[in-house]
This record gives sequence, structure tokens and C-alpha cells, in this order.
Amino acid sequence: MYNSLSTRRSFIKKMAKLSAITAAASMFPGILFASEQEEGIPNGANLDWKKGPCRFCGVGCGILVGTENGKAVAVKGDPNSSVNKGLLCVKGYHQTMCIQSKDRLTHALVKKNGKYVKTPISEALDIVANKMKDTIAAHGKDSVAMYTSGQSTIPEGYVASKLMKGAIGTNNLDCNARLCMASAVTGFLTTFGADEPMGCYEDIDHADYFITWGNNMAEMHPVLFSRMLEQKTRRGAKIIDFATRTTRSSTASNRSILFEPQTDLAVANAICYEIINNGWVNKSFVEKHCNFSKGLTNIGYGVEDKFKFTDKPEKIDFAAYKEFLKDYTPEKVAKYSKVSAKDIKYLASIYGDPNKKVVSYWCMGMNQHTRGTWMNNLMYNIHLLTGKISQPGNGPFSLTGQPSACGTAREVGTFTHKLPKGVVMNEKHRRLAAKIWKVPYERIPAKPTYHATEMFRAVDRGDIKFIWTQAVNPLVSLPKTSRYRPAMEKESCFVVVSDVFPTPTSDVADVILPASWHIEKSGLYGNSERRTQHWDKMVEGPGDTTPDAWMFIEVAKRMGYGDLFPYSEENHVEEIYNEYRQFHEGAKHGMAPLEVLKKESGAIWPYVNGKSTQWRFNEKYDPACKEGSDFDFYGKPDGKAVIWQRPYEPAAESPDKEYPFWLNTGRVIEHWHTGSMTRRIPVLHKAMPNAYVEFHPDDAKVLGIRNGENIKVTSRRGSCVLPASINERGLPTKGQVFVPFFDENMLINDVTLDAFCPISKEPDYKKCAVKVEKA
Amino acid sequence: MKKRLGIISLFVLLFIAFIIIWNFSYQTGKEEAYIPIIEESQYKTYIPSERGVFERSEFALEYANMPVDKNHQRTLDSYYDNRAYHGAPPSIPHAIKDEKNLGGNTCLQCHQNGGFVEKFNAYAPVTPHPEMINCRQCHVAQNSNTLFKPSNLAKVHAPKVGVNNALIGTPPMIPHQIQMRENCLSCHAGPAAPEEIRVTHPERINCRQCHVPTDRVVREIKPFTRTNSSNDE
Repeated sequence: MYNSLSTRRSFIKKMAKLSAITAAASMFPGILFASEQEEGIPNGANLDWKKGPCRFCGVGCGILVGTENGKAVAVKGDPNSSVNKGLLCVKGYHQTMCIQSKDRLTHALVKKNGKYVKTPISEALDIVANKMKDTIAAHGKDSVAMYTSGQSTIPEGYVASKLMKGAIGTNNLDCNARLCMASAVTGFLTTFGADEPMGCYEDIDHADYFITWGNNMAEMHPVLFSRMLEQKTRRGAKIIDFATRTTRSSTASNRSILFEPQTDLAVANAICYEIINNGWVNKSFVEKHCNFSKGLTNIGYGVEDKFKFTDKPEKIDFAAYKEFLKDYTPEKVAKYSKVSAKDIKYLASIYGDPNKKVVSYWCMGMNQHTRGTWMNNLMYNIHLLTGKISQPGNGPFSLTGQPSACGTAREVGTFTHKLPKGVVMNEKHRRLAAKIWKVPYERIPAKPTYHATEMFRAVDRGDIKFIWTQAVNPLVSLPKTSRYRPAMEKESCFVVVSDVFPTPTSDVADVILPASWHIEKSGLYGNSERRTQHWDKMVEGPGDTTPDAWMFIEVAKRMGYGDLFPYSEENHVEEIYNEYRQFHEGAKHGMAPLEVLKKESGAIWPYVNGKSTQWRFNEKYDPACKEGSDFDFYGKPDGKAVIWQRPYEPAAESPDKEYPFWLNTGRVIEHWHTGSMTRRIPVLHKAMPNAYVEFHPDDAKVLGIRNGENIKVTSRRGSCVLPASINERGLPTKGQVFVPFFDENMLINDVTLDAFCPISKEPDYKKCAVKVEKA
Repeated sequence: MKKRLGIISLFVLLFIAFIIIWNFSYQTGKEEAYIPIIEESQYKTYIPSERGVFERSEFALEYANMPVDKNHQRTLDSYYDNRAYHGAPPSIPHAIKDEKNLGGNTCLQCHQNGGFVEKFNAYAPVTPHPEMINCRQCHVAQNSNTLFKPSNLAKVHAPKVGVNNALIGTPPMIPHQIQMRENCLSCHAGPAAPEEIRVTHPERINCRQCHVPTDRVVREIKPFTRTNSSNDE
């Protein structure tokens, strides 16, 4: 008999105990192994399997790493993890292959007379600490900055925040999650007053419809997509792909609907119009649990330095909201969204059907948007109007792109305005942080300083004289790198880069610190479904490589803050996590104790009375809800979520005569973000060796462009030459070109625009105007 | 006279009103029914080249639950024997009735979805590209076992099974070209799949989530000029 899925799983479970050969053979029972392979495995190979989360995307799959003689030699999916149930994607399976890369940063490098000199790590840390101290003495606290990452572990983010905000006393701390998650955060805060999704991945097992908004999950969140596909084949659940580009996700879905960039705002409003117009509103839910508000309009795009914006929310009533929606009838919206009125009504009818469970998924399409906060609000409007929220199989679900964008950037709060609990603007939150950190309360400044884009503008202006980047590659990933690369090269700013591999960012560094990779240190990550996951160090790192958290601590000690960082080198992860947990005590955000995380493949917060809370705000599942409330959006003082009146506004830059194409950027399944890790994995590099520019075949025909021909993509900011790709991995709509950004040889972000959402300050990488010509 | 003028002007007024109202409702009707036809058709013209990944996925569950007919399995050897070299179109190993036929429906009767064929005591292999109906453009019969002149042509070594994974236990990579073979399940699942390459988990569908090709042409591209921060001294 053929193996069914369940027996295959039990196979995999048994496998952990068996030797490598048996392990591999049982994984492919249908495939006979050639004798060559068996010869390749040493006799009596006995792999030691250790659990942890995957190093790459925000899905947070559980992995098991097989080590032998102190080397990581195999990776498989953790069958005990409810996230991925034993499955991974091609990046996950091969992740450990990058750490043996020949150009690994194994020692600290200090720039002396224009050349990098190998330096003992302790000496390099002395230089960093002295430089930081001298800069503060000469130019004040706000002349030093730190730029971290959604890939920083929870302890790393915590120590960075404590060092900058608690010890030094500056809010010059931001992270690359500003480039991917900030709009999701402000969306959550404005609508619910509490960050992060209310549902969890188990929604997939209950939903009838999956509607993905500008989100190519088949490539970007492949393991979650495979769970959706499983429900599609087994239960007949339906996938609807709403996007600006035809992708693998579109071909796998039941229905693919394409729209013109930026018009998602209008389509979402049109869906709300239809829901109200057809009487599909869940009246009792809206009356009991929702308020209506509007904010400022015509809010700008932040393309100029020192741009400031504060929204002024104003309460409105249902009638006013209904009146506002009259501009968004499907017929009117169809004209500029290029989505037919029929398709808009079809989408609305799915959300409006009280007997259908719907989950909406989105990631960068909605977040990297000059109206990202609004778009997130509008998504919640749809789910709030229909009451399809916080129930198994029903809910909006904002996905993340980095392994700890939630766990570190959002929960620990490595943003300029954030503290581990709350924000710097709030006195109560500052007092709590000061108490736990044991620092004078006055030391934590009450005013946020630079968000990511503005931070690098400040470097360019010369306001920031010292910057330390960690686990991040801004000179590939920032928008408009054509401005920020020369900025970082300026003598006025001292640049420290902590990384595992050399990158275009480390190329401009004054000091390069060799960081430990993921499994070469212990740590904790938090994924998209509020799941905190712990792992223990599995292998030794080469040379002088050091965990990032420990490098921060060493510098703090050298700067005279030793008493605030009393952690031990062997045990600092545990000590820091236990200190951090105090911030979130209580039913609304309690974190699981370390003993639990060590044993289990992650736990979802709020972790109350030994139990993960899978659906927040729903009294049935969430102990933090008021009794008898049914639903309690306790992030807001009155327990009511907000339905926001948010209009359609055009993009910061639209195609015109001179620059006639939209430029959309994104990713591919083989590479993760800037490719500094995945491009060093031979399997992945061979499968996807370089970036490309995708054309619609009609556009290519008009321009006389053949597949593979070199094309120069130019905007008002810069240009980039890439080979053309016509109907290969993806098919953009007419008038749009698409470029993946992983390739440091072809820096497409020299071309992109640094316009951002005025509320979240998250840049829009998906829309700017370009022209194309044969190179 | 006055009366008649009155009646005529009434009808004229009514007629004008009719024209105005009809026109108005016609215009709004047009507005309501507005569908940008030209824009819509553009999306339908092009079938994404990646679509094949998910083709035949409607049979995936059946494949997963299908018992294996051990006595009628193909092997990888017989699969390669039927090809001039690895990657070449297979020849037709059975007699063909109608020499004038392109192939098309005649071939597809058995090769679109497969099934057991009594006469050959075997399962019909499934084609990964049923949309191409001039089958015999590429697939020809073997009507003779002799050669016109002997040849020194050496058969290229076909990829082997079990050696295509990068690490122990990782999913094997795709060691063959994907062009014309985008649809994985047609050869790797079902009763006609050679036993060595039959997938254990056809229900997974999104094959290229884990299995990536190894034979992409790596273009010669100038490496990023790392002027200084290299680790080498």
C-alpha cells in the first residue's frame, strides 16, 4: 500500500531515533537509494537532532538540525511543531549550508589607513566603545544610533533597547522591521489598540475561503500555503488571489483577480460599500463592539527630510461612514482599479456570506504602501463589519517576513518610539521600563527620534556621527540606496557593522564585528502567530565569532554600564529572557516560561495558566476578556474596535510620459531578503542565480525586448541593469515591471523611491515610476 | 385648431420627455455595466509559464491513496531505454494504426490521464503537456532495430536517483530540465510512474516549494566589487 499522510508522519517521528541512513531512507520510502549515497555517509553515523525555529521567514517553522562531530550536516522539519508539522521549504532544508561559506566573517576587521586589518575581538570592541563614548561626549547622546533587525533574537533586541534607551538615554534605535511591519503595527494599534494578529495558523484548518491580498504565499510563505493547499484538496476550501501580478499563488488558486497598483484602498472600500448596501453587516456585533472614526486626509508621502505627521482621529457615526462610502460603488471603483464590478461584488459576497468562514492574508503588498496603515485599517473594516474576526477560521491575518519581526522588533520594541512594554511617549511605560532596568526614570527620553529612513537621512546630513548595524543589510534593502550608500561612505559617520557575511553594508564599515549565526548561539524568536520559540546553541562558530547580544553587553560594560548588564556569558540568553518576561506579565501578554519553551516547539502568548491563547479578544478562548462580553477588544479603553473611514489617495509617484512603467519589487522562493545567506547556499544559487526584470509579454513585444536581454531600468533616482524575464516566474500586469531585490550585483533599490506611509513611516517598495531601455 | 395644437404639443412634450428619460437611463445603464473589456482580455491572453506546477493537482489525493500495482510497475531503466538520451522525447514503443494522424485525441485517449491497457499489460504513461496535440512532431515510432550506418554516439548519462540531495535527508533537487515537463505529477505520481522516482507525497502539490532545479544556466555576471571588507588578507 501507498503511505497515507498520517503514516508518513509517524515514519518521520520514528526517524529521529534512527541512524542517518535509515533516517534518509524512510524519508523517501518510494525511492531506492543508490549505493553511492550510502558510501557517502560515514559508518555508524549517528546524528544528534536538536530543535529550533527556522532562520528565515516569519512563518517560524520548527526545524530539527542534525549535528555530527560538531558540524551541522542535516536539517528536517520538526514534526512536533504545529506550525509546519514536519514540512519545510527549500530554503529551510538547506539553511545550514551557508555557515561554511569561504568568505565567512570570522574575525573582527578594523579599517586602518583605508585597509581592513584583522583585529582581536576584544580590541575591536574597545574601539567601538571608545568611539561611542567620544562621540556622545563631543556631540551629545543623539549623535549615536543603532539599527537592528527583525532577525535579532529576543535577547539581542532587549539588550540593544536597554543599552540605547536605558543606559545611554537616546531613542536613536530603529530596525529593518520598519521596512516591512510598521504599517501592520500602526494598523493594529489604530484599530484594536493592541499589536499582532488575533488569530493563529490553525485558522487554516477551519476556513472555507482564503483571500490573499497582494501576497504571493506560494513563494513567500510556502509552508503556510502548503497547509492551505492541503485544505483545498481535502476539504474543498477555496483560495482567491487578489494581486497586481500573476504568480505561482495565482495559478494554484481557485480565482485570480488582478488590480491596478494602489487601488486596493478603493476596492476594500467598495467591498465595505457592498456589504452595507446588501445588508450583510453583522449589526449586533458592530453595535456592541465597534466605533467609527475618521482621520486626516491628503497626508503626504514623506519624501522630504524631517517630514512630520500626526493624525487627528475624530469620532463619526455609522450614517456618516455610509455616506462616505457612496464614492466607492463597485462601478465607480472598477474604472480606475481595473477590477470589474462583477469581481468586486464577488469578493464582497464571500465576506458577506454569514455561513462562510473567511481568512484574509497579506504581507508586504499592503504594508509597503504609502497608505499602509489605512490599507490595514480597511482590511479590518471588512472583517469587523461582518463580525468575522477572532474565531477559528475567521479573521484578518497579517503575515510577517522576518523570523522575529514580531518577537523582537514589535514585542521587545526595537523602534525609536517603543519600549518593551508600551511607548516612550507614555510616562507610565517609561516608569515601568526604568524600574525593571534599574535606571533613573528621567534618563529615558519621552520623544521618539529617527525612524529607519529618517535615520539614514540624518547620517547623510551629518546629524548622526556613529551608527551600529546588526543582522541587517541596509545598503541593499533601504529604498533609494542611491542616496544612502554615499551617505554611509561619508567621513562624518563612524560605521560599525555586525554580521555573519560580508555585504555591501559591511563594505562601508569602519569596524566589522563577526557575529555568530543562528544555531551557533542560543536565542528566542517570535513568529507571526505570536509563537515564541527557543533554541539552544547547536554548533560552535568559527574564529572569533560572538553572539550579537554578548557584543552589545561587552560594549556596554566598556562604556561603564556594567552594573546594568550583570549577565553571564554562558547563560545570558536565559537571564535576559527572564528579566524581559516581567514587562509582559498578566493575561494580556504573558510570555511562556523558559522551561516550557525549552521542552515544546514554541508557545503562543498570551500564555495564561499554562495555556497558549489561540484567539485573542474572543471570550471563549481569551481569559483576558471581560466576563459576558463575547468579544472584548481590550486594547482600547472602551473595549471597542475602530472602523476607520479611510479614502483612496494616489501613489507618491505614478507612471507618466517620461517614466511610463510601475516598478514593483519583491522576492522569490529561493532567496531570502538581501540574499547574503541564501546566495551562499549552492542549491539555492544554482536554482536562482541572479535577479531579473519581469515584463508583460505585450509590453516586451512593443519594446522589442527578448527574454534574457539586458535592460536598463531607470527612475528619477538611479538605474539598474538586469536581464529581461518574459513570462517566467511571474507575469506582471501591463504597464508594470517587477524586480526581485535579493541580488547585490543588481541593486534595484538604487531605483526605488523613499516615500513612506506618514503614520507608520514604512516605505513603499511596490510603486514608483520607471522607464526601461535596452542596455 | 387650438385643441389640435394642444394635443400635438402634448405628444411632442411626451416624446421629448421619453427621449430624455430613455437617454438618461441608457447612459446610467452603460455606467452600471461598465466593465473594462480591453483590460480584462489582456489577462486572459497569457497563461503563466509556471502554471504547470499545480496541474493535475486535482488527482493528487487519488494518487496518494492509490495502491501500488507491484506487478505492472515501470522502472527508471525502461523509462530511459525508450529515449535517445536523457531529456529526449520518448519514442512510441507500440504499433500505430493511422499514419496520417497527428496524434492529438488518439494519443490523448490513453496518455492524457493514463490507465491500465490490457493489450500491453501496462499502465499508459501520462503526458506532462497534453495541450500540445501534434504528438508525432516529436514522438516517433521505432519501426526498425537496425541502423543505417553504425554510430559512435555515446548516450549521455542520465541523472541517478538518490544522489540529488545536498544534505542528508533534504529534498532531492530536480536533476533534469523542466521545459515541457513543468507538470511534476504526470511522471512522478500515479501507476505509470517509474517506481524509483514515484513521489511519496503527491498530495503536497506545490512541488517546487522544496525541490528546485540544478541545471539553471548561471549567467556570467560581474561579481559585486567587494573592494575591502573581504576576509582574505
